[in-house]
Amino acid sequence: MITVALAKGALLNDSVARFQSAGLDFSAVLDPGNRQLMVPSRCGRARALLVRNGDVPVYVAYGQAQLGVVGYDVLREHQMPVAQLVDLGFGGCRMAVAVKDSSGYKHAADLPPHCRVASKFTHCAREFFDALDLPVELVHLTGSVELGPITGIAEAIVDLVATGRTLRDNGLVAIEELFQSSARLIGHPLALRLDRGDLQLIVEAMRIQQSLPKNSA
Amino acid sequence: MALQPAAGARDLNPQQVELNQKLNQRLAKVYRLWGYDEVSPPRVERLETLKAGGAIASQDIVRLVADEPLGLRPEMTASIARAACTRLRQRPRPLRLWAAGTIFESRIADEGSLCIEENLQSGVELFGVEPINAEMELLSLLFSAVETLELSKRHKPRLLVGHTALMDLIMLPFQNDLREKIRTALIHYDRLALENLQLPNDQFERLLHHLECRGEPLDVLERLSGQFGTQQALNNLQRLFEQMGPLAADQGIDLQLDPTFQPHFELYTGLVFQLVCQSDAAPVVIARGGRYDNLVARCGAKGLQAAGVGFSFAIDDIRELLTKEIRASEAVESTLVAYGDQTSLEHALKRQRHWHKQGQRAVVELEACRDREEAFSRLADRGCSTLDWLDH
Repeated sequence: MITVALAKGALLNDSVARFQSAGLDFSAVLDPGNRQLMVPSRCGRARALLVRNGDVPVYVAYGQAQLGVVGYDVLREHQMPVAQLVDLGFGGCRMAVAVKDSSGYKHAADLPPHCRVASKFTHCAREFFDALDLPVELVHLTGSVELGPITGIAEAIVDLVATGRTLRDNGLVAIEELFQSSARLIGHPLALRLDRGDLQLIVEAMRIQQSLPKNSA
Repeated sequence: MALQPAAGARDLNPQQVELNQKLNQRLAKVYRLWGYDEVSPPRVERLETLKAGGAIASQDIVRLVADEPLGLRPEMTASIARAACTRLRQRPRPLRLWAAGTIFESRIADEGSLCIEENLQSGVELFGVEPINAEMELLSLLFSAVETLELSKRHKPRLLVGHTALMDLIMLPFQNDLREKIRTALIHYDRLALENLQLPNDQFERLLHHLECRGEPLDVLERLSGQFGTQQALNNLQRLFEQMGPLAADQGIDLQLDPTFQPHFELYTGLVFQLVCQSDAAPVVIARGGRYDNLVARCGAKGLQAAGVGFSFAIDDIRELLTKEIRASEAVESTLVAYGDQTSLEHALKRQRHWHKQGQRAVVELEACRDREEAFSRLADRGCSTLDWLDH
């Protein structure tokens, strides 16, 4: 049986829609009354695991799920051995360095050496500042990262920015982009190599759908 | 005191140990039948040996705090190859060796802490034989060994085979950095990484074709011959699979040739393979191996001496896979020697020796029992079936 790891939250609706058009109907997970974490597809040949965003690549890397949908930001942060198969296009956002609007910093390189930078994505932040050759102290926060510069716990933050409204409402401004992120279809490399065609059919259906013009998708 | 073992370390219970030994013994019996001699390579080695000339990344090795750079072996091939090229140099080739023991791999867990993965391995190494003769023996021996494991149909065993020469053919048009990026993307089955390289369309399509080109070996070889013409590596593989096909079929093992398949350790310089089984949840690699001539050459061997192939079985993974098929031995008939207030522990120990001399398993109840009934009630707890009650 095919097992698919789906992330709860912002990506779920689109993920379910994409699998549905590839022939796997997991719409039961969208039912507000659903409390099940493992949901069979309507056709019975697959099941979906409903997991946290950061856990999707874990389930896929360990082979408990052959396929999964997760944001590129999570893949960059966790660096799990999974195969990236299709850029699904939805869930678009960017990983950015942001500072207080009043700080006067225009670029990440303007930040003072050894300053504190708060982030939920400390691995991505470490990679970025190492490449800049700017030594910083990373402070790991699990949410409301925008509070970092406001409270003074950090000079800057590294966080996901979608519309930029949360930054603006909290007096912050993005000064540099690390990378663009969107949802990715990922797979377990060994399961893909052992596949007799069942997984490939789904992957191809999702890829073809992604390459169609938006009004026909 | 910390009551938990270090992350990743094995802490097996008696039944698991017994099953591991049972699997080890079955495999050892096959290796001996094929004329392989047992060696016992060291668990601790110099880091330089363990890195196998860069084939094994240093972050995969558990390092020891010592005056010289030392580590725990992440596999046994490097140590056995060194032995074959030094103190066993004078032994005639082919040199057939086998070993079983624990290996240690280091990895950084997701939360950033060091995790040591400890695994029991059993495998063989064959030195001094050129392609493809050594591979013929190696895979035949692998299939014989698999037979003793008594895998069932539900495990769907499949031998996934690649060859570094096939990867080299695919990589021929590419150089330097780009070559390495493409190779990494193909090995990791990372199609998006390939797309992001923005190659000319014909090259991109050809690489995708190679990524998807896998299946029944003789079919794949025919397709590869169509693309690359006559090649020694293809001819060798043709001969190998013509021979191995029926043997694999006898054991219910599917053969799959996959030109872009390469294992985690970059030890191999020829045939590479993994035997994969389906567990209840995920695919499990129960054996891996291949040809590693460069490693043998690094140990100082020259010419034909610099040739080595081998494989190893992952015993712990096989034990967990075979939970339904393999059982620990039935409980052995045991006697509980118990004594009352009228006699003593010394007497009970003497009585125990009497049973042991007869080859009978016997356990002494170390505290005196109030009466025979109390001694009898302890039989089950002590894992015994009969009581030898001493009361005078």
